[in-house]
Amino acid sequence: MIGNYSLLFLVFFPMFGAILCYVVGKKNKEIRDLLVLGITVIEFLIFLLLFVSYRTMVSFEWRGFCYAGLYLSMDGFQVLYGLIASFMWMMTAFSAKSYFSHSRNRNRFYFFYLLTLGATIGVFLSGDLFTTFIFFEIMSFASYPWVANSEKEDAMRAAETYLFVAVIGGLVLLLGLFLLYDRIGTLRTDQIIAQSERIAKDPIRYVIGGCMLFGFGAKAGMFPLHIWLPKAHPVAPSPASALLSGILTKSGIFGILVVSSRLLLYDELWGNIVLFLGVITMFLGALLGVFSNDLKRTLALSSMSQIGFILLGIGMQSLLGTHNALAVRGTILHMVNHSLIKLTLFMISGIVVAKLHKLNLNDIRGFGRGKPVLLVSFLIGAVSLMGIPLGGAYVSKTLLHESIVEYIVELEEHGHSAVYYQSIEWIFLVAGGLTIAYMLKLFIAIFIEKNIQDPKVGQREKHYMDKKTTFAIGGSALVILVLGLFPYVTQDKIATMGQGFLFGTPPAHAVHYFAFVNVKGALISITIGVLTYLIVVRGLLMRKNENGEKVYIQAWPEWLDLENLVYRPLLLGVLPYIGGLFARIVSASTDVILHRLDETLFLPMKKPMDGQNKRNRFKEAYYSFINQFEAVGSRLSFNLLMFSIGFAITICFLVFDRL
Amino acid sequence: MHSLNWLLIIIFLPLVGGLVLSVLRFKRRLYREVFVEGVVIATSILTYVLLYRPPLGSLVLLQITDTIQFALKMDGLARVFAGLIAGLWPFATLFAFQYMTHEGKENTFFVFYTMTFGVTLGVACSANAFTLYLFYELLTLVTLPLVMHAMDAASIKAGMTYIKYSIGGAAFGFVALVFLLPNGGNEFIYGGSLPFKTLGVSKDMMLLAYIFAFFGFGVKAAVFPFQGWLPKASVAPTPVTALLHAVAVVKSGVFAVMRITYYCFGAEYLRGTWAQSVVMIAALVTILFGSIQGVREQHIKRRLAYSTISNLSYILFGVTLMTPAGLLGGILHMVFHGVIKITLFFCAGAIMFQTHKEYVSEITGFGKKMPLVFGIFTIASLSIMGVPPFNGFVSKWYLATAAMKIGTPLALIGILFLLISGLLAAIYLFNIIMPAFFPIGGFDNEGLKKVHDPNWYMLVPLLVFTIAMIGFGIKSGPLVEFVEKIVNGVI
Repeated sequence: MIGNYSLLFLVFFPMFGAILCYVVGKKNKEIRDLLVLGITVIEFLIFLLLFVSYRTMVSFEWRGFCYAGLYLSMDGFQVLYGLIASFMWMMTAFSAKSYFSHSRNRNRFYFFYLLTLGATIGVFLSGDLFTTFIFFEIMSFASYPWVANSEKEDAMRAAETYLFVAVIGGLVLLLGLFLLYDRIGTLRTDQIIAQSERIAKDPIRYVIGGCMLFGFGAKAGMFPLHIWLPKAHPVAPSPASALLSGILTKSGIFGILVVSSRLLLYDELWGNIVLFLGVITMFLGALLGVFSNDLKRTLALSSMSQIGFILLGIGMQSLLGTHNALAVRGTILHMVNHSLIKLTLFMISGIVVAKLHKLNLNDIRGFGRGKPVLLVSFLIGAVSLMGIPLGGAYVSKTLLHESIVEYIVELEEHGHSAVYYQSIEWIFLVAGGLTIAYMLKLFIAIFIEKNIQDPKVGQREKHYMDKKTTFAIGGSALVILVLGLFPYVTQDKIATMGQGFLFGTPPAHAVHYFAFVNVKGALISITIGVLTYLIVVRGLLMRKNENGEKVYIQAWPEWLDLENLVYRPLLLGVLPYIGGLFARIVSASTDVILHRLDETLFLPMKKPMDGQNKRNRFKEAYYSFINQFEAVGSRLSFNLLMFSIGFAITICFLVFDRL
Repeated sequence: MHSLNWLLIIIFLPLVGGLVLSVLRFKRRLYREVFVEGVVIATSILTYVLLYRPPLGSLVLLQITDTIQFALKMDGLARVFAGLIAGLWPFATLFAFQYMTHEGKENTFFVFYTMTFGVTLGVACSANAFTLYLFYELLTLVTLPLVMHAMDAASIKAGMTYIKYSIGGAAFGFVALVFLLPNGGNEFIYGGSLPFKTLGVSKDMMLLAYIFAFFGFGVKAAVFPFQGWLPKASVAPTPVTALLHAVAVVKSGVFAVMRITYYCFGAEYLRGTWAQSVVMIAALVTILFGSIQGVREQHIKRRLAYSTISNLSYILFGVTLMTPAGLLGGILHMVFHGVIKITLFFCAGAIMFQTHKEYVSEITGFGKKMPLVFGIFTIASLSIMGVPPFNGFVSKWYLATAAMKIGTPLALIGILFLLISGLLAAIYLFNIIMPAFFPIGGFDNEGLKKVHDPNWYMLVPLLVFTIAMIGFGIKSGPLVEFVEKIVNGVI
């Protein structure tokens, strides 16, 4: 074990804390809650210290750990993401106590909550794909109980999906690692670039990259492996949803980033693949988000869509090659912004769940009326997510948009057709518009509309959340606000700190986020968004019910669901059938032989056919002899005796043969 | 005393101990427990002493002809296998004390249980194919009463199946022996004692003999098409299924295949031949078959037995790669799987002992009331699926990298099968764990009132094995280095 021990501490401290809290929680719940909070706060403070005092990369190595050794490293991007992860855990820990005040199995939840913290930090601090994989697997399994926490039927179903996407993803990822290790002989992220020259011409690198994209993409919620995401987030407890959506998906992105910036650095084909999948994920998530009527489901779909934006950024990084600064910075900033926004929004949804135990927009509409802190926080998160100027994600979306524009310009300069990328630019703007539409839908439903069915929902309340939760929600919203208002001081610094990890070159000139060229994209999106909201959401997706009240309707056809339409029938119907057939054939093959042996070699007990053979004395005698012989022959002792005799004869033969 | 004679002592101590036990009558159960545990622990300690200071050369007990001897020795492979057996037996015996109080006829049981220890050590310490064959046969006979312990219709039928398969396998093995002995392939020498040019027998004929040997000794390793006996034999009391049908007996089969492949015929001799393809296909079919059947089976112990079938063939797959790296992976998986599977079976046994539940659907919600047993079951399950940082991952990684190095289509298919089998293992094991911890619709507190963790007799072995699983996962270096020496022919 050599290197900086603080890295090891950061990973294993929460894990041991998990065990401690579980043991303490059996006896005293109050102390347990304090401990959970304390552990997350300490973790955050250490990261804050490391973040502020960050100079150069540090690393830690534990040789021989689980075969290939554990290698942790911390450079700018890693410390940044460690900081965000610990921040999110700390904030959710603040809000968790009141959220869980009426729920059971809290001890179990906290155990896995802290275990996952350690594993997630492990993923972000890993300096070796093998280490990434170890912690990735621990994280996947440890976060399963979050989804299954309520033990209700839909939760179990979602958890099942979550688990199997994770397991299959993990196995495919492992296959990729095998191949990579076999070809280049190392999995260290700092050595992959140099070593991957060995397979620079070999198409196997796309197989490896594809396997790893599958594995990491499954966790990130990339199309077509996003199926778990919109199901798991709504059923999980809200603090867990915030983490699942805000940070666990990012761990998948982290893996994709490593592949894309190490193994397949500046690879055009790779860039196009990631870009294509990213665009589909981005658009599909946003589209489904507009149709969704469930608060947490919309947020989950929004996460999927934003992951699509990030993947788009990763794809652009590869396409732009050595001058990819815009894409790199956009990707990093969008990751950071999205993590923080989803933290806030999911914690707010937690307040709704804790109060109403419902999530359907028709049931919860008007809940936010008369709750100013909630309103302001939600508004900050929503505005930022929409990409409206002065919101946090406006900056990152602008950078991503600019990177597409830059590539189009570059193509046109070289005289190539850029129609494909121009259409991607438009999809990007439309997806941004849809983001605005579904966030407007949520905001108006919860904070502006009145609830006619149940007027109590919108009543002015003083104690709808305790101080800790207020701190958690308000605090996270404040961070988003600062990031949005002062992008040059905050976001630029963050991007500069993180870009080294992705080999992003510093930009040639500073980007003026609020110049008209850049605001234009946002304006187009806003126009599309508002129009979509007015025409589609208010026009097509709302109907008057029998009371004359306008309600949100379920317009998306229920059968149109990738999981139920394709994956489940395939994995639970077709493959088991084939497998079962195979197993039957295999097991029958021996049984048939044995059955035949029973009938022939092992001398079956046949009853003599009485009536017919009476006259034939010879036959009668024969059968009676056979019968007697069989009666003895069917005994085990007799068989053994025969065997021993045969054995003895053979040995004698062998012995005398040699003499 | 000459140190080689200690080999005799570790083999005969449990055999004699078992025989003495059969004539003794104990007033109290505790006295018998002390006696049995004493014999077993003494044997284990002696074995470990021998492992650290292995006697050189071989001990010839009986010179039958100039080439056929009844001889014992302790080389690297023997040390690994003997170490595994001797490490597990005392704990398994401890577990059996508690478990067998429900099953009755304890005296008879422990007579054979103890004797099996000696015979298995005999298998481990055999110096040539002939001796191995004798001990191998003896193993069948001495474990038969254990399988048929309950003496009801089902267990007698299982016993009969067991004996049919085993004797059939022995017949195959014997044919191979007839080819090996006159050609000088009897002695165990790493790299093969069979000369490359055999007199009077064509190479194809020798390869056929290898096929016979593989399947003959493979019967105990439950390789396709001789896998049928193992799930049926799970009617035996759980200590038997756990120790014998997950470790001692089945691993003897695997061990014998290793000996025949690498020490008699020699991997060089077999590599790239049609015989290699045949045995590898058999191993691959078994891997897939075991995992699929595991998913289909609803009886917990039988499900674990199918998992064993699949995992034994992981080892055989490693062996049939016919490279040192393959053998390395095989030996590691032999050790690691032994520890994992005995843990899984003990957990199943603890559940059966405490609640008399045998089917997957009956244990819903038990996780809350038996947290230790199910927690350990979960760790063992993760390990067998190949999730890091547990030991199962390490051996699977070695197997896969060994297969990758070969790079033949069959080997690559093997890697794919390893992964698919890992996925299927996840399905059939999570299917047990998840309802136990997360029952749909919450816990049925009334029904679970009487369910609780077992006492220390059962928990101590489980905890020790868990530590071993995690320990080997985190720090596998020393063992790997040792096994590397074996596969490089140093020890």
